[in-house]
Amino acid sequence: MNRRKLSMFAALVVTGATALTGCNKGGGAAVVGSDGKAVYKIGFQGPLTGESSAIGVNMENGVKLAVKQANARGDLPFHVEYAASDDAGSPDQSPAAAQKLIDDESVLGLVGPAFSGAAKASGRLYSEAGLVSVSHASNPSLPELGFRSFVRSVPNDNAQGGAMVTYFTKRLQTKKVYVVDDKSEYGVGLSKVAEKQLKEAGVEVVKASVPSKTPDYTAAATAVKHSGADALIYNGLYSDAAPFAKKLKDVGFDKPKIASDGTYDKKFTELAGDAAEGWLLTCQCLDANVDPGTKQFAEDYKTEYKAAPGLYAAESYDATNLIIEQIKALGGGDGGDVRREAVLEKVKKADYKGLTRQFSFKENGEFAGNGIYLSEVKGGRITLKGDVDTLVSAG
Amino acid sequence: MTLLEFRDYLVPGLALGALYSVIAIGYTLVYGVLKLINFAHSEVFMLGGFGALIVLTEVAPGHPSGLVSVLLVLLGLAVSGLVGAGTAFGLEKVAYRPLRKRNAPALIFLISAIGASFFLYNLTGKLFGRDPKAMPALFDNGVLFHVLGAPVDIVKLLLIVAALAMIVGLDLLVRRTKLGSAIRAVAQDPEAAGLMGVDIDRIVSRTFVIGGVLGGIAGFLFGLNSQVSFTMGFIPGITAFAAAVLGGIGNIRGAMLGGMLLGLVETYNVPLFGEEWRYVAAFAVLVVVLMFRPTGILGAKLGRTA
Repeated sequence: MNRRKLSMFAALVVTGATALTGCNKGGGAAVVGSDGKAVYKIGFQGPLTGESSAIGVNMENGVKLAVKQANARGDLPFHVEYAASDDAGSPDQSPAAAQKLIDDESVLGLVGPAFSGAAKASGRLYSEAGLVSVSHASNPSLPELGFRSFVRSVPNDNAQGGAMVTYFTKRLQTKKVYVVDDKSEYGVGLSKVAEKQLKEAGVEVVKASVPSKTPDYTAAATAVKHSGADALIYNGLYSDAAPFAKKLKDVGFDKPKIASDGTYDKKFTELAGDAAEGWLLTCQCLDANVDPGTKQFAEDYKTEYKAAPGLYAAESYDATNLIIEQIKALGGGDGGDVRREAVLEKVKKADYKGLTRQFSFKENGEFAGNGIYLSEVKGGRITLKGDVDTLVSAG
Repeated sequence: MTLLEFRDYLVPGLALGALYSVIAIGYTLVYGVLKLINFAHSEVFMLGGFGALIVLTEVAPGHPSGLVSVLLVLLGLAVSGLVGAGTAFGLEKVAYRPLRKRNAPALIFLISAIGASFFLYNLTGKLFGRDPKAMPALFDNGVLFHVLGAPVDIVKLLLIVAALAMIVGLDLLVRRTKLGSAIRAVAQDPEAAGLMGVDIDRIVSRTFVIGGVLGGIAGFLFGLNSQVSFTMGFIPGITAFAAAVLGGIGNIRGAMLGGMLLGLVETYNVPLFGEEWRYVAAFAVLVVVLMFRPTGILGAKLGRTA
């Protein structure tokens, strides 16, 4: 290749690369549908494949249902479409998943990333793109990382870990608690919170990390039994909590056990069978199947997906409607040219009443409300006991 | 570590070691005849688990016990062994044989095996869902009896007994039968074996199938002990490969020894250092052993032919 050809080739490569990365700062150029209405997209980033895909699909279904109903109501001056992006719940795949949504100019906001590790890995990209991400990821450190486009739609894990500890110390008077996490960003964050608060309450703590997908939980369960702890906290997902619960039952550990919202799924009871009995589960989420406020939603969901709404389905539905509301308030569609930046600002200042709770955010994107619910596995079903603070004060 | 702890971790350690041993033998057998590592072996293991899961879910009643339990376990062993054998047979046909016919370099086999592994892994996830699944209860998973006061549950016992039976059976097969002689002949010198009338292609295929039976059954036993998912093959597969290398790749008794050693190291590491150090401990042992014996514990001494 001679020099002239080389420089031409280089120029081609550079232009190609620029075209691919699409220097897209403004975002949200309106695509117009067949009836002349603008088309805006709401994205979702979370685990749609992989071990944790059940959690992701719950959320995705909530988003899709909200989009479908928003269009069906026909009172919007624009069309809403859904854009999926799968990160398999993994931090490694998160940046690519984020880029996919960022590159689609009609995406004005997204629900997710679903997992804390993934949210950490893609937060900078979303911030640079000015694309608002309304996330259920609950690791307390997320708003501290300077991501300007991250808002959290649930109370964070300081609240959740605190609720576990409050229940154990005030209600059950435990003296020594064994705290286990799955080595994920989410689990480790929760364990740190629990440990700190337990120590403040004067309770002895034994901590262990059992990496997700450990081939055999017998050793871990045996260690719990030998520790002499009178209660256990598990911070991780149901896919690991279930085999762990089985082994705990096998080795005969019959003390109170509590697990975090990643375990709050009916799949936990399906996988663990009898071993799930008596486990307590905390969640920032409401059970859409029993709460009166989400009755209609649960019915619609069942009609649409032939299944009961699972973990965070209703919260995702709310988050999607929250974004749609803000676009509407910005005059989207009526010849108004709505940009990502404007949606971001609007969402951060939003005060929106959803089916599950009131949504508003602090300056750093942290959720402004609270409310952690406690459930128990009884007769193979997850049954709500109530709000932790209420349970404790009732004594 | 107290004596009490030592006692309680022994059975889980042996059971995990037995599992690794059985998977490791699959790697070692194939290496023996082809001098290649079958990197899709972890998917043979995974599919064996799935085969047993699908069949047992269809037939298992609510709370089986006694003879029904025994029959269910035998059915699980048979189905998983068959599925494992079928998978291994297909792998050899698709990912190995065409390349052998063209005398491809070793690296190409590695790539085709990894490709086959990805294909099977993702296909399984697509077909059967990406959620973990629980094996139906085959017996009241109670503690069977106590050895020196340590509880032994049925699944652990089954793991150990089945693994031992398979290992002894395989040892006899390789040492005493005509097929075994042929396998050893091909392992030692394929060209000479071919000249003596051994059908090399057939022997290679059968070697894959034998390893597949063991891998498939290991998948079923693993599923009984934990759960079945399309990702379940990866970690045990890598660990068992390490076990095969540790014991001396190509050496069946070495694979057994390496598997047992790693299972015990991983389990006893929990009371000693904590669960987080599981793989660190296992691979530290691997590195230390290979520093002193580069060909593994029972492997050939370097500079001499096996």
